[in-house]
Amino acid sequence: MISEALKKSLTERVAGAITPREAAVDVMKELQAHYGWLTDEAVAEAASLLGLSPLQVEELATFYEMIYRRPVGKKVIHVCDSISCWCADCDGIIEHLKKRLGVELGGTTADGMYTLLPCACMGRCGDSPAMSVGGTPYGHLTPHLVDEILEKERRA
Amino acid sequence: MPKLIIDDIPVEVPPGTSVLEAARSVGITIPHFCYHPALAIAAACRLCAVKLLDGPVKGIQMSCSLPAQDGMVVSTTDPEALKMRSLVIEWLMLNHPHDCPVCDEGGECLLQDFTIAGGHSRRRYVGKKRTFQNQYLGEGIHHEMNRCIECYRCVRFYQEYAGGTDFGVTGSAGRVYFGRFAEGALESPFSGNLVDICPTGVFTDKTGRFRARYWDYEFAPAVCQHCSVGCNTSPQNFQRELIKIVARRNDQVNGWFICDRGRFDKEYLNGPQRPRYPEIGGAPGEYRLALEAAANRISEFCLQNGPAGLAFVGSGRLSLEGCLVLAELARVVGAPVSYFAEAAPAQGSLAAVRLLNEQNAARIHDIEKAECIALFELDLMEEGAMLSLAVRKASLAGAQVFRVGGAREGEKRQLPFRYQEVATLDEVPFEGGSKGVVICGAGGKSPELLSYLASSGARLVMLQPGPNAFGAALVSLERKGATLSDLVESGQIKAVVCFEADLPPWLLERVEVLACADWKRGGLTEKASVLLPTTTWVESNGTSINYEGRAQRFLRSRPAGLPLKGLDPKYYSSETEAVALHPPHVHRNYIPGGAEREAWRVMADLMLELGGEPVNEPLTGTWGKLRDLDPEGEGVRIYDLVSAQELS
Repeated sequence: MISEALKKSLTERVAGAITPREAAVDVMKELQAHYGWLTDEAVAEAASLLGLSPLQVEELATFYEMIYRRPVGKKVIHVCDSISCWCADCDGIIEHLKKRLGVELGGTTADGMYTLLPCACMGRCGDSPAMSVGGTPYGHLTPHLVDEILEKERRA
Repeated sequence: MPKLIIDDIPVEVPPGTSVLEAARSVGITIPHFCYHPALAIAAACRLCAVKLLDGPVKGIQMSCSLPAQDGMVVSTTDPEALKMRSLVIEWLMLNHPHDCPVCDEGGECLLQDFTIAGGHSRRRYVGKKRTFQNQYLGEGIHHEMNRCIECYRCVRFYQEYAGGTDFGVTGSAGRVYFGRFAEGALESPFSGNLVDICPTGVFTDKTGRFRARYWDYEFAPAVCQHCSVGCNTSPQNFQRELIKIVARRNDQVNGWFICDRGRFDKEYLNGPQRPRYPEIGGAPGEYRLALEAAANRISEFCLQNGPAGLAFVGSGRLSLEGCLVLAELARVVGAPVSYFAEAAPAQGSLAAVRLLNEQNAARIHDIEKAECIALFELDLMEEGAMLSLAVRKASLAGAQVFRVGGAREGEKRQLPFRYQEVATLDEVPFEGGSKGVVICGAGGKSPELLSYLASSGARLVMLQPGPNAFGAALVSLERKGATLSDLVESGQIKAVVCFEADLPPWLLERVEVLACADWKRGGLTEKASVLLPTTTWVESNGTSINYEGRAQRFLRSRPAGLPLKGLDPKYYSSETEAVALHPPHVHRNYIPGGAEREAWRVMADLMLELGGEPVNEPLTGTWGKLRDLDPEGEGVRIYDLVSAQELS
């Protein structure tokens, strides 16, 4: 269930778009912020707001990396595994993250704090290896720096 | 007109033609998966690579999305292009399971053909294949997602071409998945075309799984007999059983596709309910005896009541040949002939045939290119579903679509295009009329109403109440046919002889049925004192005329008779009796259950019994020009052949 206020603001957002589809990502992100992840219920709500079928929302939701169709932790770690980061040994960073958090890629920590996901290029090749935690970008990662970031984000 | 050279062959094609089509026009098939002539260009599979040696562009190019231009020199056999294609095939095959022996597509599979054509035969990749969970997509289609090569044909057809919204592509990169949001039957009434359009075995026909291979099938060009659109089909028979029906291309009628009703509604052809043996007074007998019995009953009746008390009844289900010979049969006996049981469908159908001519009868391309379309009081998805795809095409190109008179009673399916509701036809802004089309159902409309629609100046689509009702109406006008209900109401008629006709219960109560010839059971066959089984369209040659007056020839694709495969155990009432999965092992020189004859031949045989002349060729007189109709062709509009205006 979403509040009337949210529903109203989303309806206005859709009405302001030239075609409803172009508001789809905004609507999905808003609903995701509301529920914590894009639930089946949220897909159905997005569909009715956008005038699309649930499948057509699903097509978009599953295409974008930052729309989550499964429950996730409080903060999602997107660690880049594209070519520049790979050259800068992102594999080592990913291994370190896995060990430190005690999860595999795609997993969520036992305390529900972090979900670890690989992602394609974030456009931060100059700062490789890079990751983002809860939407905040970090670059020039080292295992030591990763530990600091995890602590800082946990407290934030 | 661009002139180019493909593999040393000079080719000239209309502007806008792709290099792939240009090559096809001189008999060179460039391998391709994602390209389909009816769909938007995706250029997703990269398989149709050719090398351009000279001209405006050079090097390796995708021939599906490259318009032919003057001066191009194309090589499909250049080593570089060959190498590219073999590598593309190799990576398309990375995840494809090697399950051809248990895949229904085997033998009719583009992936098989082009893997061989592309020169890929040895697997070098040793990694794991990605696998998927399949979905239940309804009773018509089986889903096997592991076989997918991501050509996007299915989703382009389903969403863009057919306007469906419940099937699509989810995920990205290596997780691309073609399916629904949740399991369930596909909602589009055109979903069956996924079977035809998928270049591999992701979507296969669930109603004909594991029965036969492509080279086992008996084919023939056929015309769908479910509604008056007259789509072209290819029935695939195996051992006298109809396994599958696939679409057959006819750009003047149905393009590349058919609707699900035409594809999946086929149980009645193989089913055990079909009358297979002649019955005299309810007891099975020989055809010869049944014909004699029918002739005797007719003669006796005529002696006692006079031939005017007997009507010979046909319907829009009869082929044109049947309609014509029926009139001859009635003439021999001296009895009235009728092609319509009830007044309402009769007057609409006849009025439509009188109104339509070469100029105002809309062709499918007129609908596609129309600027303004009015759907007048009809349930389009029920009466002529395939036309909705043409209307959708027009709508996407900017045409305005109006629905006059709201939804019909019992309308189940949504129209796959945008439209506005209006109350009357006067609100539809036909400008000049040349680009306007009115689509209505002719059955049950008054002649005045149909004339009013015609006066709008728009081109007309008047859907008929039967697959060959247009032909039946024409013959009715030509041979002065009457409507059965009128004859019965006037007290003139006491008995009928029916050929593939359907009578409403109230009419059936008021007449005696001397004989009935049909391929399905119903109230008439129950009541008939002699039952003469006829063949269905699968076992017959014939001609039918669709809603726009296009005569099309269909051919027999299998002999008449019971399927070799025994009946499904569900048809056996007794649980103790063994189920025969094979016909009895008895030597005979005829096919069991193969006594049915084509309707017009039954009439001709009956004429002989009644002292008439033998009929060897049903298409005579003006209709003789249709004898050479090409069943593989586009059909012939009959307006310059037969003029309904002169007949009436």
